[in-house]
Amino acid sequence: MSSFSNFRPTRRGLMKGGTALAGAAALGGLPGRASAQSKTLRVLLAGDPFYYAIEGLKDQFEQESGIKIELEAISLEALQARLTSSFVSNEPDADVISVDQMWLGQYLESKWILPLDPFIKKDKDTDIEDYVPEILYSMNTWRGQVGTLPVASYAQMVFYRKDLMDAKGIKIPEDGSWTWEEYTDIIKQVNGADFDSKKIVGTVVAGQQPAPIVHMYTQLQASKGARWFKDFPAAPKWDFEPTIDSPENLGALKAFVELYKLAPPESIGYNWFDAGMRFAKGDIGMFYWWTAYSYLCKKDGYMSGKDSVVANVMGIVPLPKQPGKDQVVSLGGHSLGIAGNTQKADESWQFIKWATSAKTQKAMGLFNKFGYQFSDFARKSLYADADLLKIYPYLPGQLVALQAGNGKIVRPPAPVYTTLEGIYGLNLNNTLSGAMSPEDCLKQTSSFFTNILKGNFLIPYNQPSFDDTLDATKALIKSLA
Amino acid sequence: MTLASVPAAPRKRVRRHMPDYVPWLLISPSVILLLALIAFPLLFALKNSFYFWNLQMGPTPLGFVGFDNYKMALQGGFFLGALWNTILLTVVGTAVEFTLGLMIALLLARQLKGMNVARALLIMPTTIAPIVVGFLFRYMYDPGGGLIPWLLTSVGIPIPAQGLLGSSTTALWAVLFADVWQWTPFFAIVLYAGLLSIPDDILEAARLDRTPPLALLWHIKLPLIKKTALIVVMLRFMQLFNTFDLIVVLTKGGPGSSTRTLGYTLYQAGMVDFNIGLSSAMTWMMVIIVNAIIGLFVFFAFRDWD
Amino acid sequence: MDQTEKLPSKVFAYAMVVVLLLVFIGPIVWFVLLAIRPTATAFSMPPVLFFEPTWDAIRYTFVDPGNNRPQLFNSVIVAAGAVLLNLPFSFPAAYALSRYKIRGRKNIMLWYLGLLMAPPVAFLIPYSILASSVGLKGTYFSMILICQTLTIPFSVWLMRSFIDEVPVEIEEAARVDGASTAAIMLRIVLPLVRPGIIVTSMFAFVFSWNNAAFPLVLANRGTTTLPIGTLQYFGTAGVTWGFIAVAAVAAMIPPMLIFLALDRYVVRGLTFGSVKG
Repeated sequence: MSSFSNFRPTRRGLMKGGTALAGAAALGGLPGRASAQSKTLRVLLAGDPFYYAIEGLKDQFEQESGIKIELEAISLEALQARLTSSFVSNEPDADVISVDQMWLGQYLESKWILPLDPFIKKDKDTDIEDYVPEILYSMNTWRGQVGTLPVASYAQMVFYRKDLMDAKGIKIPEDGSWTWEEYTDIIKQVNGADFDSKKIVGTVVAGQQPAPIVHMYTQLQASKGARWFKDFPAAPKWDFEPTIDSPENLGALKAFVELYKLAPPESIGYNWFDAGMRFAKGDIGMFYWWTAYSYLCKKDGYMSGKDSVVANVMGIVPLPKQPGKDQVVSLGGHSLGIAGNTQKADESWQFIKWATSAKTQKAMGLFNKFGYQFSDFARKSLYADADLLKIYPYLPGQLVALQAGNGKIVRPPAPVYTTLEGIYGLNLNNTLSGAMSPEDCLKQTSSFFTNILKGNFLIPYNQPSFDDTLDATKALIKSLA
Repeated sequence: MTLASVPAAPRKRVRRHMPDYVPWLLISPSVILLLALIAFPLLFALKNSFYFWNLQMGPTPLGFVGFDNYKMALQGGFFLGALWNTILLTVVGTAVEFTLGLMIALLLARQLKGMNVARALLIMPTTIAPIVVGFLFRYMYDPGGGLIPWLLTSVGIPIPAQGLLGSSTTALWAVLFADVWQWTPFFAIVLYAGLLSIPDDILEAARLDRTPPLALLWHIKLPLIKKTALIVVMLRFMQLFNTFDLIVVLTKGGPGSSTRTLGYTLYQAGMVDFNIGLSSAMTWMMVIIVNAIIGLFVFFAFRDWD
Repeated sequence: MDQTEKLPSKVFAYAMVVVLLLVFIGPIVWFVLLAIRPTATAFSMPPVLFFEPTWDAIRYTFVDPGNNRPQLFNSVIVAAGAVLLNLPFSFPAAYALSRYKIRGRKNIMLWYLGLLMAPPVAFLIPYSILASSVGLKGTYFSMILICQTLTIPFSVWLMRSFIDEVPVEIEEAARVDGASTAAIMLRIVLPLVRPGIIVTSMFAFVFSWNNAAFPLVLANRGTTTLPIGTLQYFGTAGVTWGFIAVAAVAAMIPPMLIFLALDRYVVRGLTFGSVKG
């Protein structure tokens, strides 16, 4: 009892609380597993197939250069969130980053990535002339600077069931000399057929909003001659007046709705991979999609290593055309850039050079841990490589598609692209589900675009423009070679 | 403990009421810490809601624009629709979770043998991270081979062809179901604890009076656990109102905008469109709205409390 | 309780319990199976219950390259740290709110809960700016600290109801003897509310463990936690469900184990000030 009056709370009592606090502080103060050591490079990538190949090969880089690599892959949205919060708070989060073509302008202008021009010029063995110029134009250049280099490049092509078409006596042109109408007619012909103990659905779409449906639809839109803006980016003065509500686009949208009617109803919620995997399941006749699916559809699951039922009966051909319009192929993929706030710019450049080099890209194509799951080359030389052609015989067609590509028309990298894509995707999805008519969709999208562009000071556009053309890029490449 | 047994150390004057500053001293560390952690983002949002700051246009704020962000939030058409979805989700969700939780609690309160094990297991869904619950249900709702569509069609319940998450009529309810699945056990356990603490003599008296079960529930049990029930309803209401990670994984606000809630719209504006000015304005609009609702709730519900 | 339960009503009750277990535990089991399923059976129709398990997913996520293994440790550190930091702040506050009839006591209690009104998603960018301006970005401490916004309000409520149950007479006796507030609080009350501490810590642990929003912007590669680890497999080109499931199961197990092991405190802890029996 008397101990209470002799109690010295200041020492004992605080000790318990203090111990808890000290414990928390000790745990908190633990150095994160990856404190910046002198020769470790942090690489942050999107988890597309190229990631798995690089992961399998990174030991090679570590041995050759002596630089240790910490590789991390996350989903595209998480990547955006991480990168943005890292740049806004000016805290370096990674040295080499995956930069989507849509963010390139924003990142370069905000100085969140370093222009690669000086590095390329100094380093002749970058071999920049080996790249397909259309890819560099669409994915990696902005306002006359090279911001990133491509590590995986996709075009869009048509995938179909050879066995089904043969059985029905349908001939699919190998040279792209068909129209969208003929394409749809063929799908109509096979829709509902019984084949291989399955009921065939004509085609499949990626209907999920916002990005998947926009990726798929804009290919059709561009091929049919419709455009997003009046003058961007290949114009001396940029004009962001939306041209979404045009007769060409109306035609394209109606055609797209028709395709959805010939697709599984649940594909309105499909993302990129769902659509591809549905084809791989075996009950789809024909569809068009990113060329990564040339190999992805051969497996029954993402990086599962096991063949799908369509692995050996898949035909790959160029997209149909719209009579009277020049063909435009959508280009996409992933590219690597150097984070603006890194302390290790030279090491970062070394990694980028290695990952995008012909030698490494070929090794990635030959990487077999998951069964040859990479053929997204950006370099012309690789398309003539005998070893690669043996494994991926469709490469020549893919090269032609890439060379007809123009990512900057199909999905223009306007500054507020994500916001625009969000609305466009929403309205497209509503149109597919029938909640909105195609006319309303385009009208509303166009007016939304105008509001947003005005609200973000893009209409009228008072900043300096840059006449961004393929020729300008070719000249740039030459100057850096 | 008599005065005589105390040693000769100087005795403090023992007063009935301790000095006034003591309770404040004890409360202030937590209050200060929380204020600092919550006030900073709220003030940040307040300031930036009046500026044009869109990371897609430039890395720093580009100019004072007054209430333009607020106007854009309302005009964009998404805020009001999202508000409706949010209120629908929150009110129905809380009500369903409360009702089901109460029914389960009543069941558990019978304390039949072996129910303790069941009770321990039942709370498992609540211990899972919401994002993981999202993945769990996305897997189960999959139109291509998920467990739930298969179960429903096996018993003859029609599901929309686009899948439960792909049809605008069912998507919101599918999201709701995932939340109900996760949090009903929470209500169940809390209400069960409340029911347990009802004194036995009251229940015995009611039984002797042959009170019918429903009257027993409505007039006796519920009023006695009222405080617990109100608090947990308030908690869940606020959490549901702010839900966004479940929606990000399950539907991304789609199809169309049928599952676009305020939380998701905020996420979209801030972390996808990177329009910090706009998302700051929306943050404050949300804070004001939920403050108003909870303020009213508290005023009526906790009037007669200590 | 009631001894004269009729048999049909008992059977009904047990049947309902079985249904409840199926509904609430069934999906968890189904999802856990996904971690060891061969990819082809993940979406087979009709669903396949028996299959030959494959350890590939577990190997990829935790052994080679084992990206999720450090995340498991990080989650433990953040959650444990959050629990430790939580107590010195919430316990004194709970004590004060229980023992002192200060003006506005009810409002203060409600204010704590009201903090949960603020949408966490709105805080991500400001927190990331705040954290890096004080040099704490990417550290465990930043997450441990920010998690207090989730843990303290709940803890104050829970602990207060536990402290309410300690008879004031014990303290008054000690006060008569000249003990100071701190002594009473720490040497008398604290040991008596050990169950309260345990329950509070359980919830604090689980809230911090399950939080995915804050690590998204506050962690770097070395400190990122398991829930974020599941997101990494949710890619644009493909979703590897097996990997997601393994990471998700790893994220599910510790909180579940804690709640199962400390189950006897759960019900005690969740009395938000009900009538005392």
